[in-house]
Amino acid sequence: MLLNPWSLALTLCSLVVLMLGAVAGKTAARVLRFWEPGSDTNRQIRLENEIWLSSTLVAYGLGFQIITLILFVLAADQFCQVIVGAMCATGALLANPYGMPALMVKLFGVFFYGFWILLHQLDIRSEHYPLVRIKYLALLLVLPMLVLDVSLQTLYIAGIKPDIITSCCAVVFGETTGTTTNLLTTGYSQQGLLVVFIGSIVGLMAMGWGLLRRWQAGLAGLYAAGWLWYFGLSLVVIINVISSYVYAMPYHKCPFCLLKPEYHYFGFALYGALIPATFFGASAAMAGLVRGKTGLSGVVDYYQRFAVKLSLMLLLIFSGLSFYHYLKYLITGGEG
Amino acid sequence: MLIELSGVSKIYNQGRANEVRALTNIDLVVEQGSMVCLKGPSGSGKSTLLAIIGCIFPPTSGRAAIADRQLARLPDRFLTLHRRETIGFIFQRFNVLPELTVLDNITLPLLPLGVPPKERKERAQQLMARFGISHRAEFPAGQISGGELQRVAIARALINNQPIILADEPTAHLDTVLSWEFMEIMQQLQAAGKTIVIASHDPLVFEHPAVERTVTIKDGRLHAS
Repeated sequence: MLLNPWSLALTLCSLVVLMLGAVAGKTAARVLRFWEPGSDTNRQIRLENEIWLSSTLVAYGLGFQIITLILFVLAADQFCQVIVGAMCATGALLANPYGMPALMVKLFGVFFYGFWILLHQLDIRSEHYPLVRIKYLALLLVLPMLVLDVSLQTLYIAGIKPDIITSCCAVVFGETTGTTTNLLTTGYSQQGLLVVFIGSIVGLMAMGWGLLRRWQAGLAGLYAAGWLWYFGLSLVVIINVISSYVYAMPYHKCPFCLLKPEYHYFGFALYGALIPATFFGASAAMAGLVRGKTGLSGVVDYYQRFAVKLSLMLLLIFSGLSFYHYLKYLITGGEG
Repeated sequence: MLIELSGVSKIYNQGRANEVRALTNIDLVVEQGSMVCLKGPSGSGKSTLLAIIGCIFPPTSGRAAIADRQLARLPDRFLTLHRRETIGFIFQRFNVLPELTVLDNITLPLLPLGVPPKERKERAQQLMARFGISHRAEFPAGQISGGELQRVAIARALINNQPIILADEPTAHLDTVLSWEFMEIMQQLQAAGKTIVIASHDPLVFEHPAVERTVTIKDGRLHAS
């Protein structure tokens, strides 16, 4: 499957990002060893010039790697056309052992890469280079994740064999219990999940509103943790509750078919609100960790308020989208 | 002191076959409100030194500080902002845009600062009146005389009221009368509190009574002041 256009695009993108990462990794090693703010040596001045270019390239590279999550899911959706048994990305991702781990790493990568980009953006907003060391130390931690991301993706793409029979989403996210391929979280009542889901929305709204009125580091930490909880919960709710109402089929609970044109690409709007909302919600507290660095207090304050406002706005959009089909069903009784 | 250079060296193409050492271990202090002339033959490193003082590029090593801030070493997005607030340039060939009017040329540095059009025009009119070029306001810069062009360049360097004026061979293309006139204007600006650094090998400039100190550069090294 390596010569498929989607595979080529993905592999090429990731290789370029990996190359940029490797070059920046070399800079990172030099920064951690030789960075001396305030020094007038030739080496320090060269490093200052070098980090500017290097950081910019890495920021673009990681931004690009975030976009590969979308490309990866779209590619899996295309692969299903040639894999026996697959009806959507679910089947394609389960066609070999690397598909789902690759997706998970890419999903976590969105947050890790995003946090690095945030550090970089905060750093370049102060004239004192306050986060250079932290930023490059973080880069050395992000790089193994990037390598894992690209490796799993390549192993997945290279390992797809059209003659291997895989399962369709109806089986993977079906009500049949006792099978090893069943990924549906059974045992929860829909009403129970919805109550917790609505409760979490109200909780996040209250915390966000509280933070906008008066910023408290403890509450910001709780807000970030709340978002991480809500992210996981939302994925469970999407699979167990929301998806059936979108498909208007009680036993169809696939989180990937939502991305298909027959459902008006509804999944893109849903995940497109949830993932950035979680990132901004969690990053508001993360940014607070570097607030004390020279020249950053004003920048961090501004970002935190912006991030909380944006996460609340996206939460409203996500909630609206989540309940749209459910409420439509309740109001129309499933007609039209 | 307003400008302080300490151990400044500049090497172009460092580590390559075409490496050029333009400046070596320069120490220079310029006090606020003074006029200093950098003297030396072509290729001695005057323009490089002026470019480092003007934050066009950083030194290869050493400290170049303006009002205790190493402007040239600032991250790019801050450098441009601080440079345009601190330093006014007068170039050898004046570098005006010939298609634009005199007024537009003078107000050009204010555009990225977001100064409203009315204020831009008012500030330019004051400077044009001061330098006697008000009657040329709507003329394309390409159609005015050399002397007027010189005054347009000075007005443009002053439009944002920067405390430091740097001039690179400003009289190289002017006759004696216009060169003298240029130095008279510089003297007035110095009296008004501006710090002026002029790179020139024109005796009319470095022998002018307003020049408090002449610094000689030869082969990238500073000689007797």
